[in-house]
Amino acid sequence: MTIFFQATVEGLSLAAIYSLVALGFVLIYKSMDVLSFAQPALAVVGAGLISSLAVDRGIPFWISLIIGITLTGVIGLIVERTFLRPMVGEPVFSVAILTIGIDILLRTTLDNWIGLNPRYMGDPFPTFGTFGSTEIGGVTIKYLEIAGLSTAILIILLLNIFFRVSKYGVAMRATSFDQEAALAQGINVGRIFGLVWFIAGILAAFAGFFITGGFNTLSQTSFVVALRALPAVVIGGLDSIPGAVVGSIIIGLTQGYVAYYQYDFELLTGITLGNGFSLVAPYIIMFFILVLKPDGLFGTKEVERV
Amino acid sequence: MKSRPNLYTNYAKETAIFSNNTQKFWFFILLLLSISLCFVATDYWILLISRSLAFSIGAWGINIVSGLAGQITLAHGSFIGIGVYTAAVLGGVASDSVWGLELDMLIWLPVAGIVAALFSFILAPIAVRLKGLNLALVTLAFLFICSHIFSNFISVTGGAGLGRKVAKLVLFGVNLEDGLLIGNFLLEKNQIQYLMCLFLCIVMGFGFKNLVRSRAGRAYAGIRDGDIAAEALGVNLFRYKASAFALASFYAGVGGAMASTISGGVEPGLFNLLFSILAVAIIVIGGAGTVLGPLFGAFFYIMAPGLIQYILKITDLTESALPLNLGQIEAMVFGLCIILFLIFEPRGLWGIWFRLRNYFKAWPFSY
Repeated sequence: MTIFFQATVEGLSLAAIYSLVALGFVLIYKSMDVLSFAQPALAVVGAGLISSLAVDRGIPFWISLIIGITLTGVIGLIVERTFLRPMVGEPVFSVAILTIGIDILLRTTLDNWIGLNPRYMGDPFPTFGTFGSTEIGGVTIKYLEIAGLSTAILIILLLNIFFRVSKYGVAMRATSFDQEAALAQGINVGRIFGLVWFIAGILAAFAGFFITGGFNTLSQTSFVVALRALPAVVIGGLDSIPGAVVGSIIIGLTQGYVAYYQYDFELLTGITLGNGFSLVAPYIIMFFILVLKPDGLFGTKEVERV
Repeated sequence: MKSRPNLYTNYAKETAIFSNNTQKFWFFILLLLSISLCFVATDYWILLISRSLAFSIGAWGINIVSGLAGQITLAHGSFIGIGVYTAAVLGGVASDSVWGLELDMLIWLPVAGIVAALFSFILAPIAVRLKGLNLALVTLAFLFICSHIFSNFISVTGGAGLGRKVAKLVLFGVNLEDGLLIGNFLLEKNQIQYLMCLFLCIVMGFGFKNLVRSRAGRAYAGIRDGDIAAEALGVNLFRYKASAFALASFYAGVGGAMASTISGGVEPGLFNLLFSILAVAIIVIGGAGTVLGPLFGAFFYIMAPGLIQYILKITDLTESALPLNLGQIEAMVFGLCIILFLIFEPRGLWGIWFRLRNYFKAWPFSY
């Protein structure tokens, strides 16, 4: 039973990370009908900025966290303004490929900076408790995981309030509903696009920090973790915010349980699933859910006219 | 009409493989040049051009499914991988850890394509239900599942990080690994490979051109431009989407098998997400949906590193003086090319070639 709880805790903390990236995906998709493959790159770029400020420049960690996250948001803004604005109205295929190009640019720059040795974030989390973790009823929990979970919940709540109450939140909802009608009502749709990318950048940077914080470190392959938010979004439905959260929880828990129970399963059935199967399991789930429900669990069904 | 060869008087003439004598003439010249090239050029260039030719076969494959039929796929790299490993099992040498049957090239080359096409039928029923981004994401899932299998199916692929040797060049029972002695003249292995790639590239290129102007090609274009409308006009969506994927995978398998014989060994980690993105990038840069585009794109991809090195050399910059290393510069140039081509010239290199050609055709009149 302890193993079960351990797997659950680790799955949920992964889910928190995924949901942060996934929300960025959904926000961009809802407002612009663009699937941004650059989101994982933004996540690791955020982590890289924090690390360079905190470790290389020696700025206190909490300040560099705030600066790094804001800067990532600004990078998102710049990317939207320079590369994506000319592509408004182009086929989704082209825009998706374009974000892959952006992903290559961002990640190459970052990889050059990272070099061969993994980078530390300079965060205080590993110093808390025993090597950054505590034990509750036999279950080991890292303080970083607790922080990740609570941050994710807080951000989701704040975003909800933002969408309901604030002027820009309502404008964003209007834009995602119908761009032209929103334009006719005097909403500056271009500014909304910029804002969406800014928020998506911030969310990605938070996720990037929780992926690489503590002993996890930032390496050239860190972005793969953020990329696994993609199946989460797809499971939930590309245009649904609750869907993104539920999808992330499904993916996170699957990964956690598979990681802990794969060996037992293999012993029991004699089937070898191979090394690192827990990393592929999310994609298998996504594969089957898309076959059964093409629009995801919570996505709205697309009505098409000829 | 004899004096006006550029005037099309019927549809058959307009859609002919060579619509006028000029094209026929230049194709013939180019063919002669490329055959004679293999006796003149240095090994370095022969190797580069053979790789470009083999890559362009794979690129034509993804051009069928993405360029013609308009379905985004991120699993093309996996199909190339399936082709490579089928060829390696059938034509390679067995060792303690990997299988190998040492069959003739006449068997392993087509079978590599056919097996890849068979695997594409896993995607076919899903491809019919989904479209656009959702389809792209399913192929992404397929890619990750495939690369997991590649790195764990050791008896076929040699396992992650190790890889295996690829198929041997044995054609009609003649072992070509050490070259072929014709009279007193030794045709070296890389020259043989070059000629094979050239031959395959021409065959597959004509195949693609014929596909474009056939019933199937028109159906694909219909699906790309509006699948519901196409279905209403009587295009069988299931059949044509499935056949687009199957044909694309066939091209991928053959191209991959041919390209693998040039590199000698393949490691399963090669067939990752980046490799599939590369396939998409090649047709975006070359010109999606066009016949010559994939050829241009493949040549661009293979030649670009050499070009960058050359520019560095003539500008007297050493690698250490730059903030990026060579591989990173290549990645940056490639990423930038994707973005800039999509924004400024969606028809890719082919579009540039098209405008250039028309400019000189009408010269000195600018209209």
